[in-house]
Amino acid sequence: MKKFNADSMGEKLLRKFAGASSRRSMLSRLGAALVAAPVFPLLPVSRAEAAKPDRSPETKTFFARTAQTKDDSKCDYWRYCAIDGALCTCCGGGIHSCPPGAEPSPVSWVGTCINPDDGKAYLIAYRDCCGKPACGQCGCDNTDRETQLYVPQLNNDVIWCFGTSSMDYHCSTAVLVGAAS
Amino acid sequence: MSKTSFRIFAAALCGSLLASAALAQAAPADTKASVEPEESDTLTIDPPKPTWFFVDGGWDMPGTSIFDGESGKMKGMVETRRLADMAIDPAGKYYYVAETIWSKNDRGTRQDMVTVYDSKTLNLVTEIAMPGRLLIGSRKNNFIISDDGKTGYVYDFSPTSGVNIVDLAKRKLITAIELPGCASLMPNPGVGFSALCSDGSIATVAIKGTKADITHTAPFFAASDDPIFDNFAYDRIKKQTTFLTYTGQIYTAKISATPTVSAPFSIQAAAGIRVGDAKPLDVNWYPGGRQPMALHRATGMLFVLMHKGEYWSHKASGDEVWQVDVAAQKVVKRFVLEEPMNNIEVSQTDKPLLYMNGEKGEVHVMDVATGEEKHKIEKAGGGIITVLEPS
Repeated sequence: MKKFNADSMGEKLLRKFAGASSRRSMLSRLGAALVAAPVFPLLPVSRAEAAKPDRSPETKTFFARTAQTKDDSKCDYWRYCAIDGALCTCCGGGIHSCPPGAEPSPVSWVGTCINPDDGKAYLIAYRDCCGKPACGQCGCDNTDRETQLYVPQLNNDVIWCFGTSSMDYHCSTAVLVGAAS
Repeated sequence: MSKTSFRIFAAALCGSLLASAALAQAAPADTKASVEPEESDTLTIDPPKPTWFFVDGGWDMPGTSIFDGESGKMKGMVETRRLADMAIDPAGKYYYVAETIWSKNDRGTRQDMVTVYDSKTLNLVTEIAMPGRLLIGSRKNNFIISDDGKTGYVYDFSPTSGVNIVDLAKRKLITAIELPGCASLMPNPGVGFSALCSDGSIATVAIKGTKADITHTAPFFAASDDPIFDNFAYDRIKKQTTFLTYTGQIYTAKISATPTVSAPFSIQAAAGIRVGDAKPLDVNWYPGGRQPMALHRATGMLFVLMHKGEYWSHKASGDEVWQVDVAAQKVVKRFVLEEPMNNIEVSQTDKPLLYMNGEKGEVHVMDVATGEEKHKIEKAGGGIITVLEPS
């Protein structure tokens, strides 16, 4: 049994990027990197596994048991299960919006978080807002299924301000990508 | 300067001179002070010593401060910006800093380089330009130096994964290679370097000139479900790497053209308690922190920051340090800490000292033999800690 599936997560995320962004060249490089990575074999067996994932371990982590859905300026807001950094909601931005003058990173690390209201798993893209000094408000560091640097798309320490005009890290958003399969 | 401001300045100057005189009277040692005017100068320091430790200021403070573990005194500072990676020349002649700057502070033209500092003067020697590097911080294995000190390997992610190979003797970039799906580097003497990969293998990159030949071991760990902490430790003399996973499994790997990995053992079982696992709702002792382990190479003792909690708490600071005899697979001592610590390193000396810091940026120096705290150094830095390694 796999507890969660990085293959389907990455595939879904890349499709989303491909449809939503115009930064083709940079994203195609990212795509090449991820497709080439052994964690993204996209084999039929992986897809079959992804069809019926067992989400129960994800619902039982300390974070998932104590998460809330009302206040997105708190570290225990359900989408922040793997966020690291200052919450943009505390820096003049929103849950998927950068504060004035900051620029969202087109790529990000991802998490699969459980919404306690419906008990379902959702894919969250933690996009950095870039181009201003560190906001410093509401610092959070949640680590559900957060891995190390050799699985970079699941690591929350990387400065993800690639393809932006400045790599200065300002704050982090938690963008809902969709339901996790 | 107006007359009024001159008077204020003169009064202030007079005041400070009088204060100095009062101080001089209070201190007997200065009663015979020379009246000869002094010249400003700049000191030099010794090359890096085994009792010294190097503390990165972390996210909040630039610079890497050099302290002597025995005296607790600061010796100097290496210039490191936020998210820079410092490495010590094995011969002790230079400090190398892999860093990124922009022509207009935080915007303009990006410049990535290995900056070379003389270890005695701490003056800038030169800069070696390279195509890029990952901005992350708190990683000991993103910039490593070959055992002979001639080659630097700098991890890049742009966001394709790769490594810049730098000739530190000729001070120029040799080549930049792609390394899909792998990061967290370790030297591989006579071959090139090795790295951990997302398929749970070790990749070995054999370098010949500007060509790189990449091979992999069989997968041996679960990179997404029970990852190896990427701040692992490499032993230059044994040519061996010690790995620790989130659940507390300890592996050693003999590094060669075809690395071999030992069967793992559990740190909890080595302490006589229940093995740590990845299941939810299971409260146990787990390793954690940003730099959660330190290896004393000569004795094979591993020091691990441990905390009580549930799985996926791998960044939590340690409440205890567990001393593991890796060869005997036994926890030989547990040190209870006064306050939680996030980074740990150990001096590579006959009488090892533990260096630890936490969120406050205060370094605690502990004598391993007695468990006593020798020094507590405020505002030393909250980032990772480096020591001179035996070679």
